[in-house]
Amino acid sequence: MAKSVAARKSLSGLERSRVRTGLVFLIPAALLCIVFIVIPLISVVVYSFNEKSSVGSAMTYVGLENFKTLPTTEGFWQMVWATMLFAFGSTILIVVLSFIVAMALDSKRLDYISRNVFRAMWFFPCILSGSVVGILWRIMYTYNNGVINSVLKSLGATPVNWLETYGLTNFAVIIASVWSQMGLCIVIFLAGLQSIPTELLEAAAIDGAGHGQVRTHIILPMMAPSITINVLTTSIAAFKMYELPWIISKGLPGYSTRLLTQRIHFFGFESSKFGLGSALSVILILVITAISLIQLVVLRRREDIY
Amino acid sequence: MEKTWKRIVSWFALALATVVLWIPIYYFVIGAFKKRTDIVKHPLTLDFSRMSFDNFTYAFKKMNLFKALGNTGFITVIALLIVIICGSLAGFAIARIHHKVFRVFYTVVIALMVVPFIGALIPIVVLIHRIGLYGSLWGNVLIQAAWNLPFSIFLFTGFMQSLPKEMEDAAYIDGCSTFGIYLRIFLPLLKPVTATCCIRAGIGIWNDYLVSNSLLNSARQPTLMVAVYQFFGQYVSEYGYAFAGIIMASLPIVIMFLFLQKYFIKGLVAGAVKG
Repeated sequence: MAKSVAARKSLSGLERSRVRTGLVFLIPAALLCIVFIVIPLISVVVYSFNEKSSVGSAMTYVGLENFKTLPTTEGFWQMVWATMLFAFGSTILIVVLSFIVAMALDSKRLDYISRNVFRAMWFFPCILSGSVVGILWRIMYTYNNGVINSVLKSLGATPVNWLETYGLTNFAVIIASVWSQMGLCIVIFLAGLQSIPTELLEAAAIDGAGHGQVRTHIILPMMAPSITINVLTTSIAAFKMYELPWIISKGLPGYSTRLLTQRIHFFGFESSKFGLGSALSVILILVITAISLIQLVVLRRREDIY
Repeated sequence: MEKTWKRIVSWFALALATVVLWIPIYYFVIGAFKKRTDIVKHPLTLDFSRMSFDNFTYAFKKMNLFKALGNTGFITVIALLIVIICGSLAGFAIARIHHKVFRVFYTVVIALMVVPFIGALIPIVVLIHRIGLYGSLWGNVLIQAAWNLPFSIFLFTGFMQSLPKEMEDAAYIDGCSTFGIYLRIFLPLLKPVTATCCIRAGIGIWNDYLVSNSLLNSARQPTLMVAVYQFFGQYVSEYGYAFAGIIMASLPIVIMFLFLQKYFIKGLVAGAVKG
């Protein structure tokens, strides 16, 4: 009895020293996160209720003024629309196309080597930086000398003004982002497809289900979690995207392809309206956080997938 | 018979789609060796007799490539070191020591993972100005380290939670300190998760445009992606230079990808799924 009390005492002594050491371990990470993430996040909320026009200048409290002025600034609703179009357009295209490619890559008709080579080839654009992809596609879309129009001309079609046509330019930017981001979705889909038990597919085949039936009644429902993950991660990435669409279209024509992230940068660096920029930042953070929370809830529930 | 037929058709469909996907890459890689007129007139033809390294030598000189490479390399390596050391220490505390503080910290870290950098950009620029690090590579290093930390802590914590408790107990009986346990027992086991971490954070830092464009003076302290973009802006119609530039800026990552493909895919997917 006395022994066990002593043991417990020494254990709690050890535990206490462990907690102390642990706190020391935490200090560098906590310091970095607090100074460079938490404090800026608090500041962005504070700035959004104030007016501030340069790095050194004092703030003046304006209440909700920034949030009220924001929708009246030039081109605001066009940019909201451009952002939505870009986010939803690229998400839908990326997810649908990646699913088709992943199905083809997973097919039992492919041998091991060509499957791996194809997978690496489809993944490759993901490792290129946003600015590299932007420069590449901007050059390809150029009206007079770009490769896309040269190919169109050689096929006898009329060249298209990819970079300055309302509507079409949105599509052009989306295509570039699809090109650079499909790889990630494909890999996630492939992992999902491989987690479908083969017994299930065999059982369906024995019961006489055709390819189409297997696809709609077994593969699609089994892939629901991967589809959710891909939709959420791709849309978050699209809402955050900055340099790739900017380099391709510069937001032109008008404001029709200018994204909200680019507007934040503009308020911060070109027009020095820190208050307005911060108000817009707060809105964007809320949108992305909302999507991410859905993602976390979904992932918690389906932890077994990854 | 019908099966072989289907097999061939689906293989060719996939191969065709892959070719379409790779046309842009083919276009810029061969374009980097061509003269401007050839890029415009014969964009997709391969004629070795008319190709040269001229674009590369020119871009190399004009882009200040060595400096940009040095700066990007410095930022990437130092930031990764900070991320790995701070991340594994914090992950160890959260995963192995039970106290409310660590649980609260972990929840905050998870929440910070979802915050987009661009949302905090304006106050970060103000902050970096205030602490006198504007235009210094160190400001860039600290920002990259901090913003890559939450996800690394998440990865390290998850990995260390999966290790058995008995190892620690035995080490304590042998008189090892807590720091000794971290250093001698856990650290050597962390190689796979460190690799995932390095690749995920490393690609992001290497490819970064926004942070260095906002916090550095691009003329005096260029990083690779900013240098490439400015170089392109200067010679908008000289496609060959731009292609040579983007090849040189991407080459280190591409070479690593060829050798560490599996880790790359794992690292980036982990980032997409959890980040």
